This record gives sequence, C-alpha cells and structure tokens, in this order.
Amino acid sequence: MSEFLGPLGADGGVPSRQQTRVAAFLVSAHGALARQLAFALPGQLKSGWQTELNAQLYRESEIVSLLLRATSWVPDPALAYLIARWEITWLPQSIEGIPDRILSWTVDLSTIAHAVHASIRPAALLPVEANAQDPFAVALRRIEFESGRMLQAQILFLKGRDLLPFREFVSSALEARHAQVRGLWTDMLEGIGVRIREG
Amino acid sequence: MPFLHHGSYRVRYELDGPADAPAYVLVNGLTQYAELWAAYRDALVARRFRVATFDLLGQGASDKPGLFINQEDQVAALHSVISELGDGPIFLSGISFGGLIALRYAIAYGQRLSGLVPMSCFAELSPQLLLLGNALRTGLILGGTGYLQDLLLPMNLSDAWLKPLLNNLDAVKRQGWLVNDVYALQNLMESFLGFEPITPHLSKITVPTMILNGEFDFLTPRALHETLRTQIPNSSLVIIPEAYHAFTLEKPALTADLLAGFAEAVMAGNWRGEKKVWVAPDGAGGTLTAFPAGYDHLRAIPTPGRPA
Repeated sequence: MSEFLGPLGADGGVPSRQQTRVAAFLVSAHGALARQLAFALPGQLKSGWQTELNAQLYRESEIVSLLLRATSWVPDPALAYLIARWEITWLPQSIEGIPDRILSWTVDLSTIAHAVHASIRPAALLPVEANAQDPFAVALRRIEFESGRMLQAQILFLKGRDLLPFREFVSSALEARHAQVRGLWTDMLEGIGVRIREG
Repeated sequence: MPFLHHGSYRVRYELDGPADAPAYVLVNGLTQYAELWAAYRDALVARRFRVATFDLLGQGASDKPGLFINQEDQVAALHSVISELGDGPIFLSGISFGGLIALRYAIAYGQRLSGLVPMSCFAELSPQLLLLGNALRTGLILGGTGYLQDLLLPMNLSDAWLKPLLNNLDAVKRQGWLVNDVYALQNLMESFLGFEPITPHLSKITVPTMILNGEFDFLTPRALHETLRTQIPNSSLVIIPEAYHAFTLEKPALTADLLAGFAEAVMAGNWRGEKKVWVAPDGAGGTLTAFPAGYDHLRAIPTPGRPA
C-alpha cells in the first residue's frame, strides 16, 4: 500500500486501472450532485444565494465531462457493484430534527456536497513524480481546486443564520455524511493499492 | 500514532523524552502540524525535557470538525494533552495562533503551569492584523491552501531562508498542503469571528512568562507583544534578531535553546521577569542582552524615549 497513486508509467502517467476507479468514483459523486442540483434549482431564482446553485450545477457537470475525456478508461468488472454502492449513498436522506421536508432535503444535499468538496482530495493522491501535463493529473488538480471554491456555498448555507436553530442536527448530519463519503473513498482507494493517511 | 478524545473528536499527540522529566508542550501555528517541532523534540529531549506535541482540532492528523471549531475547544484539547503529563513541572509554548491558545490556557489553568512562552503572539486583533487575517482567509477561499502558503512564506520568513529554496518551494509547501484541508483551515480562521480581546484577562497569568518576538515580525509586530509584556505581571520580552513571524521554523536551534534556558532558570529559581526587554543572541548558546537603556524598543530606528 502507498499513500499515492502508482507506480507511475514510463511517461509519468497514473496506471489506467487506478485512473478508471478514481474517475468512476468522482463521476458518480459529482454526477449525483449535478442531478440533485438540477432538481433543487428553481426555474426562477428567488434569492441571491441561489445563483450559486446555478453555477454549481454547471461546475459539477463540467467535472463529469472533464473526467470522461481525461481518463484512460479500462474495463473494471468491480465497478458494477461499487457504483451501485456509491449511488445508494448519494440518495437523499431526511435530517433528524428538521421537520420541514424541503429544508431537510436541502440540508442533506448541502452536507453531501460539503463532504465531497471538502474531504475528497484527488490531487493529494498524485506523487511528486506524476507528469504535470498528463490530462488525468491536470483533471485531478482542477477538481480539487474547484471543489475548494464550490465548497464555499455549502459553508455559507450550513453555517448561515437560517440554520442556527438546527445547528446541532446540521453538524451531526454533516459529520455523518463526511464519515460516509470518506469511508467510500478510502475503501475505493484501498482496492487500488492506495491507503490515505489518518486525519 | 496515539490519539486523545475530546468529545467525539480525536486529537493526535506525541510524547517524547523521559516520563519523569519536566515537560514542554508545544502548540502549532494555524497552518502547521506537529512534525514541524521535530528539531525542538530532539534539542529539548537532549536537555532532559519531556516534549508533548499535537495537532490542534482541524490540523494534520487530528479530527477536522466540519463546520465549527471554537478556540475554547482547542484549549480543552490542549488540557487533555497536558493531563497526560503527570504532576511534574510543565512549560507551555505556542506560536502565533498556538500562542493565543497557550495564553487562553494559562488564563484558565495557569496553576498547572510552571512557565509560559508565547511566540509571535497577540491578545487582540489590531486593525492591521484583522485586515491581514481577512485577506488571508479570502486568499484561502479563492486560491486554496497553496495560495495561502504563497502569501505566508514571504511574509513570515527571511530572504536568507527563502533564497536557497526559491527553486524548490513546491517541496517546502507540499507536506503542509497534504496534511491541511481548505475547509479545516477556514474553520480555524473563522474561529476568530466574534473574537473578543483577551487583554483584560492577561493579568491573571501569574506564571513566569517569556515572550518571544521576531525583530522583523510583520504579521504580529512588536506592539502586539508589548501588550503581553505590559499586562502579564511576571513577564519579559525577548526580541529575536533578524527574525520574522515564523522564526521557530527558521531558527530552531536558537529558539529551542531559549526555551530550555528559560525553563532551567525558572526551575532553579533564577528567572526574573520584571517586564524587562532583552535581545536574544544570534545563535544557540549565547546570552541575552538587555535592550539598550533609554531607547524605544517599539521603534525600528534608535529613538530615545520610552523606558523598556
């Protein structure tokens, strides 16, 4: 087990099997966020912060599109099971302590997005020797960078005044989503010989 | 890798040196992680200290709360670490954000300490520090951890330290970038939202206190340390020559020597704070020099006036 992807090919590229597994996870996660954002986005925006939802919808879609093109895909039979497991995890859940169904669903979407944007750091998997011009490496760096910026919408919403009465429930739902997402990410990486550090 | 528990969160810590020795507890700056104290561990253990290092909540290998980290939680985490150290003498030191946490600890639990060393530290947010902090937070949000590091490196380290590394800065930044997450650093920075100055509480710190301040510290300049010196009764201020905010990275041998010498003097009953101002030697092993009488230690040019 290594902390990083590899061993790299002669051209400094990440092995195709690892690319496929990592990209499949990211497509599943960011694709699920794009789908849920598409449903959450009203036809007519009602308040300023919803403009960010519109931007996120397209950024998530861009990440999926980028990975489809930048990844060196190979057949991976395990993906059938793994993708089913991942997709089940992204399904909306109601948040305990928030009786309003729409608000509860919106908070849940935000907690998944926070967990995906905050705790999944694909660029941190690249070893120093990785070819900086390799499309897959560039894609991972771009996804991590964009995730840090997209995360701000979730931080603003989840820390916002509207959710103050539910702060304890929101925090605990967020920690649970983080644990779920981190668990899936860690399991997936261990399946391709990568063990990320604790913390 | 041992962990302590604070509520539902885990705090990663490490103890080195003989269990029956007086202990030094070292608290990280905001973007730091425990491994950065490695040179201090070696130097202080060699001087027969036990050394405790740890990652604050939101840092390194400690848990990173998703939304909120209070500074009180950091004090509680520090308290848990100190509780592991038994009943012997304990000296506490922290740099920058870690220095603030150390000050808060000394205010709340001063009776447990034998000595305190705040480094590159502050008790209140001056307008400059507030605005710099806001700008650094915006930099983190817009550009990520790497951009924050790009801002902090030239601000906090000297040309002499940076010059040989100019072509290899990515390697210098990499470990900090790997172990720190944007959201966690942001939470640490946002623990200053609603910050109230602790200046009115500094007089509660009665333990011997040696305040260390880099001569050229731009982020937390002399005036912020002067607040500590004037408000903490048994304190003295030591100016580190030609040093910037992150002098613990740049001058580990000198700083570890100052820490050890301070603790040894306190335990021998020879240390006197008396709110004096000193200048540290250029390197480890030298002696402190009193700041020249009749000159203002808050000025960068020799100006007669303010008594030290």
